[in-house]
Amino acid sequence: MSWRQTKDAPFYVGYLNAVPKQLVMFLVVFAVCFAGGLGIAALALSSTQNDPGNGGFQWGNRFENVGILELRPYPVLRVPADGETPARTYMLAGQGKRGAFSQAEKNQDGPVTLRGVPVNRGDLTMIQVGRVEAVEGGAPDFTPAGPEPLGRWKLTGEICDGKCYAGAMRPGRGLAHKACADLCLTGGIPPVFVSSGPVENRNFFLMADQDGNLIGDEIKPLLALYVELEGDVERLDDLMVFKVDLAKARILK
Amino acid sequence: MSVQYTPVIWNRNKIFYDAVLLIAVVLYLYIYIRVAPGFEDVTKPIDGAILRMRAFGSCAFLMLTVILCIGPLARLDRRFLPLLYNRRHFGVMTAGIAAVHANYVLTWYYNFSPTDKYVALLSSNTNYGQILGFPFETLGIVALLILFVLAATSHDFWLSFLGAPIWKALHMFIYAAYACVVLHVALGALQGAGDPIFTSVVAASVVLVSGLHFATGRMEARRDRGEETAKASLQEKGWLVAGELDEIDDDCAKVVTLSDDERVAIFKYDGKLSAITNACAHQNGPLGEGKVLWGCITCPWHGYQYNLSDGRAPAPFTEKISTYRLKLIGSTILLDPNALPPGTHVDPVEIGEAA
Repeated sequence: MSWRQTKDAPFYVGYLNAVPKQLVMFLVVFAVCFAGGLGIAALALSSTQNDPGNGGFQWGNRFENVGILELRPYPVLRVPADGETPARTYMLAGQGKRGAFSQAEKNQDGPVTLRGVPVNRGDLTMIQVGRVEAVEGGAPDFTPAGPEPLGRWKLTGEICDGKCYAGAMRPGRGLAHKACADLCLTGGIPPVFVSSGPVENRNFFLMADQDGNLIGDEIKPLLALYVELEGDVERLDDLMVFKVDLAKARILK
Repeated sequence: MSVQYTPVIWNRNKIFYDAVLLIAVVLYLYIYIRVAPGFEDVTKPIDGAILRMRAFGSCAFLMLTVILCIGPLARLDRRFLPLLYNRRHFGVMTAGIAAVHANYVLTWYYNFSPTDKYVALLSSNTNYGQILGFPFETLGIVALLILFVLAATSHDFWLSFLGAPIWKALHMFIYAAYACVVLHVALGALQGAGDPIFTSVVAASVVLVSGLHFATGRMEARRDRGEETAKASLQEKGWLVAGELDEIDDDCAKVVTLSDDERVAIFKYDGKLSAITNACAHQNGPLGEGKVLWGCITCPWHGYQYNLSDGRAPAPFTEKISTYRLKLIGSTILLDPNALPPGTHVDPVEIGEAA
């Protein structure tokens, strides 16, 4: 067909019901190809999506433990060893994109019973705090261990918000998640460094500034990018803490 | 055509057009959300909100691609012209699908926070100075706003109210919307972990849309060069050689290019010749690619009609287009390049007498 109109060429006028016969088959074939093409595209695009991993809320494994709430500098629950189970330190988050600062600040002087839902991806566990109650009738005989220094490290990886990456919003990482991670951190969710290489077999690190304090807004331009960070790593029971010097951060890609 | 802005009258063609659209969109979403996850190779199923968000987003992107391909396809092969007729419904549906995508993003990524989700959308990431980590959401918002404006002004009321030139210029922003969507995807989803299928689909879309427009542009330029003989040749003072009689089929036209934005359609019908501007008063459709039906020039895009001798739409309609004077010397058609005011009566040239 060419652009030049001819007397014999079929001519379609939309407001008339009659469609020239020569066009009917063409349009039917187009309609089938259009719908079929979209269907095939849907199958191809949807079935080949990247694996978001196995992170997620452990709704069937509700968390309830007695321990000590500490700010290091983000809220953590220190749980004493129990028989063969060693002492553990859990990162905490509130409901939604909120931190658990208020509960931790209110109850940091004594032992508490903390109920919540674990959000877990591999070694990374964060507890979404439901209820915190002070333990009545005396504190258990438990003094959490101090941090164990593991030296100075230069690590590459990505800064994520700990809750989404743990499984609240899988995959919860990458540039498409940058704004969400920013919002989570603003709300008080602890930042987590996901390292491409392990330190003592652990790839997830709770982040703090180089003095062990809360990190400010200087972290935001670095979120969701592949970065190189330098700082001291220390172990808090089973939790790694990365005290980074963000002034030395380098964006790799 | 309809100066009284009467409601759009449904007919079998429109219903069929919209039905095919709906079926295709529903099929896409159903397969994406319900069928394809069964074939996913993932550790754990993708969360429903994210799956739906991706389904609606990718659907809007593909629909926009098809919309932008319809124009050049109809230029390259007139069998695609029926797809143009109801394209505004296609656009409105695309805006709706894109809005659902945006709503899933808002209620998932920007929800559950002490910050209002609309505030969060614009304030969470403001790293406009960097390519990696650029707030690609903003590009999506711009595209969505454009799609909304175009959808809201798609009715013929707005076409008449704004006038064809402004309406047309406004609706050319569809290209800006497409560019924003491509960047939205390229700076967002494609920056994540490698996804060769999605990357290929986006690349194919860009190549297809650009390629078809490039091919159409070349075709138009070639056509203009071919017709530009009229511009340079002076057969008689003030008259241009427009071509030969046998170049035109009965009830059809030959298009002559006078300048970049002025083309004339010379129609041959009932042993006569008449010349009018090539641009339809409705949406600047190429009248010269239409035909004479029931004694009227009929636009190939939406069937708008004009009388041959004065360029006026048949009563009760009031659209008017410019007419031109013609002369015949032997079998050679001469054209006066000075357009007459829209609606000016010009006696048709009788072929029998002059030839």
